[in-house]
Amino acid sequence: MTTVLTTLLSHYRRHPGQLVMLLLGLWVASALWSGIQAINATARDSYARADALFATELDQLERRDGATLSRDEYHALRQAGLPVSPLLEGNVVTQDGTRLTLIGIDPLTLPSENALGQAGTSSSLTAFLTPPWQTRVAPDALTALGLERGNAPGATPTLAEGGKLPPLTLSPALPPNTLIMDIAAAARLLASGEAITRLVAAPGALTTAPPDYTLTRATSLASPGQLTESFHLNLTALGLLALVVGLFIVQAALGLALEQRLGMLRTLRVLGVSGRTLVAALSLELLLLGVIGGLTGIASGVWLARWLLPDVAATLGSLYGADVGQTLSLPWQYWMGGLAVSLGGLLLAGSGVLWRAARLNVLSLGQMQAWRSGFRRQLTLMSIAGGLAAAIGLGLTLWLAQQPPGDGLLAGFGVVAALLLASALWLPPLMALTLKGLTHLARRRPLTQWALADMQLQLPRLSLAMMALLVALATNLGVGSMVGGFRVTFLDWLDQRLVAPLYINAPADQYDAIDTWLADRPEVSERLLTRRSETTLLAIDTPDESRSLSLAIDLYGITPGESLTPHWPLLNTLDDRPSAWAAFDNGAVFVNEQLATAENLSPGDRLTLRAPNGNETLTITAVYPDYGNPSGQVLMASHQLAARFEAPPSSMGLVLHENANVEALRNALTTRFGLSNDAISDQREIKRIATEIFERTFTITRALNVLTLAVASLALLASLLAQARSRRQQLAPLWALGVPRAQLARLNLAQLGGAALATGLLAIPLGIAITWGLVAVINVAAFGWRLPLHLFPGEMAVTLATAVGVALLAAALPALRFWRASPRALLAEETHQ
Amino acid sequence: MTARLIRLVIMSLILPLAALSGCGSDERAEQSAGFAGLGQDAEGFQQAAPNQALTFPDDFPHEHAAHPDYRIEWWYLTANLEDVSGEPLGLQWTLFRQALMPPSERPEPTPWAADQLWMAHMAISQGEQHQVAERFGRSHSQAELSQSHDAQAGVVASPFHAWLDDWQLQASADADDDAFSPLTLTAYSGEGASRFGYTLELTAEGPLVFHGEEGFSQKAANGQGSMYYSQPFWQIEGDVTLNGETKAVSGRGWLDREWSSQLLDARQSGWDWFSLHLDDGHKLMAFQLRGGGDDSADTEQGAAYRSGTWITPQGDASPLATDDITLTPLATSTVAGRDVPTRWRLEIASVAIDLNIEAPHANRWMDTSVPYWEGEVRVNDRASGEPMGEGYLEMTGY
Repeated sequence: MTTVLTTLLSHYRRHPGQLVMLLLGLWVASALWSGIQAINATARDSYARADALFATELDQLERRDGATLSRDEYHALRQAGLPVSPLLEGNVVTQDGTRLTLIGIDPLTLPSENALGQAGTSSSLTAFLTPPWQTRVAPDALTALGLERGNAPGATPTLAEGGKLPPLTLSPALPPNTLIMDIAAAARLLASGEAITRLVAAPGALTTAPPDYTLTRATSLASPGQLTESFHLNLTALGLLALVVGLFIVQAALGLALEQRLGMLRTLRVLGVSGRTLVAALSLELLLLGVIGGLTGIASGVWLARWLLPDVAATLGSLYGADVGQTLSLPWQYWMGGLAVSLGGLLLAGSGVLWRAARLNVLSLGQMQAWRSGFRRQLTLMSIAGGLAAAIGLGLTLWLAQQPPGDGLLAGFGVVAALLLASALWLPPLMALTLKGLTHLARRRPLTQWALADMQLQLPRLSLAMMALLVALATNLGVGSMVGGFRVTFLDWLDQRLVAPLYINAPADQYDAIDTWLADRPEVSERLLTRRSETTLLAIDTPDESRSLSLAIDLYGITPGESLTPHWPLLNTLDDRPSAWAAFDNGAVFVNEQLATAENLSPGDRLTLRAPNGNETLTITAVYPDYGNPSGQVLMASHQLAARFEAPPSSMGLVLHENANVEALRNALTTRFGLSNDAISDQREIKRIATEIFERTFTITRALNVLTLAVASLALLASLLAQARSRRQQLAPLWALGVPRAQLARLNLAQLGGAALATGLLAIPLGIAITWGLVAVINVAAFGWRLPLHLFPGEMAVTLATAVGVALLAAALPALRFWRASPRALLAEETHQ
Repeated sequence: MTARLIRLVIMSLILPLAALSGCGSDERAEQSAGFAGLGQDAEGFQQAAPNQALTFPDDFPHEHAAHPDYRIEWWYLTANLEDVSGEPLGLQWTLFRQALMPPSERPEPTPWAADQLWMAHMAISQGEQHQVAERFGRSHSQAELSQSHDAQAGVVASPFHAWLDDWQLQASADADDDAFSPLTLTAYSGEGASRFGYTLELTAEGPLVFHGEEGFSQKAANGQGSMYYSQPFWQIEGDVTLNGETKAVSGRGWLDREWSSQLLDARQSGWDWFSLHLDDGHKLMAFQLRGGGDDSADTEQGAAYRSGTWITPQGDASPLATDDITLTPLATSTVAGRDVPTRWRLEIASVAIDLNIEAPHANRWMDTSVPYWEGEVRVNDRASGEPMGEGYLEMTGY
């Protein structure tokens, strides 16, 4: 057995290129796959920590007028019998500039099952409550504090502004970037005096809100895990694609290695090695390769994940408000799973090889023609399988068409996958057919005819690499168009929504004074006050049905003045835009696309919302796009929101006359009302931040996309290089017949360039179909918004050029070698034949 | 919104953690420092001693207020009541104070900073029912306290007001500023059908009673003890809510006031404490601390240390010496997985009484952060079996 294995492996000593290609394929495939899995595992761990006790989420009590709560107010509520607990929230900045969330709690009143399972004498509670207090922190945050895990417990890191944190205690169950300490210690660090950020109570502990307060129930809000599910599904799909493309390479390499060892295998069989032993030896070879490739792949995957994670974490933070740790946290299942996927993939890719080795005919000789007839059967099978995939895709599309929008994320991926599979499977039969047709057409031009016939002979080996290239090109095009289209739409939308050059973000109780003061300023032409609140959507009345539910939603109030209404983007209105806005001013509402999609709402439907003074039933007159917002939102006029829901002001946009001195107004506002520096922001700043968030959202998508294309190009290059030697065998006789070398080299380049061009051309419609699947099905289900289909001809041209460029590059090296080969070597090829 | 919610959720994470990390050390503390750490070393605190004799009326009302320089203190009310249909009903309301550090280590009284930890227990018992609730609070003894909204919990002497949140014992509206009677007690817990609690009017029908040597009550043979006085003569009227239903009640109550810095000897594991209203108008307080007595018992903990006070209907108190009291457990019941003596024999030689004391319902376990048994008892003459009175029994360390 050992001898058989050594003999088999000796092949790779003579052809190290093949070994490199095999390992490269395995390495790339498992690196991309395991990198993405590492990111997902880390994010899930972070969610799990935040989710762990979601069952005990809390109701919140806030002042109706938005004013700050104070300590004696809290005592008064407790003494009136309300089981509320104070929370103090703020940010602290570490010396390396990281912003950490600081939360001060009162463990004595915080509702929790059996909260104080300890006596008042417990040393840990005393340490938490008394100087020097304690900081509970997850190990993820230690890097930001400049600490190693080993010396963290008990350390008292100094903050950027000079304050010191109380001694640290590690709590791995806490979400990343969060510090928890006693409210007394937090109040000192934040210098917040008697102020409280919010009051919380156990769910349902308060039956009604006391006068002057609003009660927000911790109802059916989705956990970050659910919200981000779609994002991770997107990542996983990309990872799977990378794995498949990588395995294409592996299969090509394995096929080649077997083809070249057929003679050796026959010799071994003739020498008495049983078929079973041979298969076992080949399996062992696969296992060996799999373990090496898989392990290196996983190691690189972890590195890749570490590189991408900050962007992923930032995206999840800005899109969903979910905190994800910046350091990888990988359970043992991850490592086993990664290796299992690599080995499983390799086995799948190698199963064909094993099957052929097992049925090896001892007597038959390796013949290209025999191979070709086998390939014909294979082409038929591919066409049938491709048809099957297409049928599945079509079926899924039909099914999806009958589903309400927003459903069927998995089915959407299914459609895209089926489309890709069908196209990939149809590519070789299609090419074979085209070549056959062209050969027929070129029967008067012998050299062209030869080239086409030769191409048919090369097709079996090239087809896999071409399939990989097709899949990668189409995906690249699809994802590229989706991201580009989103970018165009998003920036437009941002321009339409941000009409004021200045935005004020002041404490809620200052807006009245600011508004009065601004009313007399000549340079201010319009004041756009916004208000925000939260409530529960209780019922929906549509012409067809009426249903009740309990859904937490955001309320957003805007001032529908002359500067806002002409630009504010609307997707869908009841009548025309002017009448929608007129109704809006009189108390009708608009809903965002996310809410409309999730609850299947359209203009004309009526919503019943919980309001402080009884429920409010309001009519929807329009749906508006609201990119980047994970939750459902109801929009109404600011003055209506104030009157009906007692919502506090949240910001104010200032529309200024031309030639107004922005800087002077800004300074006057800051000094007059004692506002902090970041209380007034200009439009450019807000746009910059929004664009930055957007860019980060797609960094990973783009990075993976480019990597996938690179892998596919590598696959093509590898397959062409692998057969470079045999190409010389094919070309030498033509040279001997008098065809000049230059022409032969050109012919060679034209063959491959043509094949790549055909693949690239097929990739374009496929890419458009994928874009459609992404924007119209997957995005709606994943994010709740639909994007217009944008196509970018420039990008398509680049894609096409990439395909041809890669093919020419790959063909150039063998061509160059042929060009440089001495006549003697070429003649030797001839005699060899 | 989501981010905010996540943050809220985090909150609930920390407490179980704190509880878990606290558990192990707690158990050790209980073993080495008596029940609930009450035998912990009290260095830096003021110590209760015989030379701090309480005198009436000079020391009052200010002794009713908190003594933050001492480590522990309580305001402890038990009541044996009857509802309108004659059904007996027991209740308890206790406010515990514990200093978090000796006076010299107190933090500055910045907002929220605390040097006092408060804990309140309430219980209502009727038949097989036993409803218990617990609250916690914090305060700083040096913070300005001009109105009750300035602190979550506290006790002021004049006009008397002891509170933790809405659980409050305070001088009735028509009482004089310095008076300790009549008092109004309110405490409620739960919502809807599970709501329970009480609003009671307490009127003292006798004087305050000082235990031990003019209020210094020795608790161990080594001389450790506490300052301890009672008001055993409460007449109580009011309303009790149980299972969401409210009914009128009336009966007798007993309020204990006790503060010290080291209540137990480190060798003492718990106590059995009786406060009895006898039908002839006498009151009897008797306790035994298990361990910490003289070395007559051949155990590591030492013999039980007993003490008590015999109170005449007029309020004259005679301290009872440890060898004057014989206390014998007669039967145990299994409550909350523990064997607790629920029938006792109590003999006081000097006043020639021999009593059978029995808890009619054994399930009076207080499943609070510091668990103990606290419930109503019936008193019978041991020889004749004649009913002689009622009272409350508290047992800790089982």
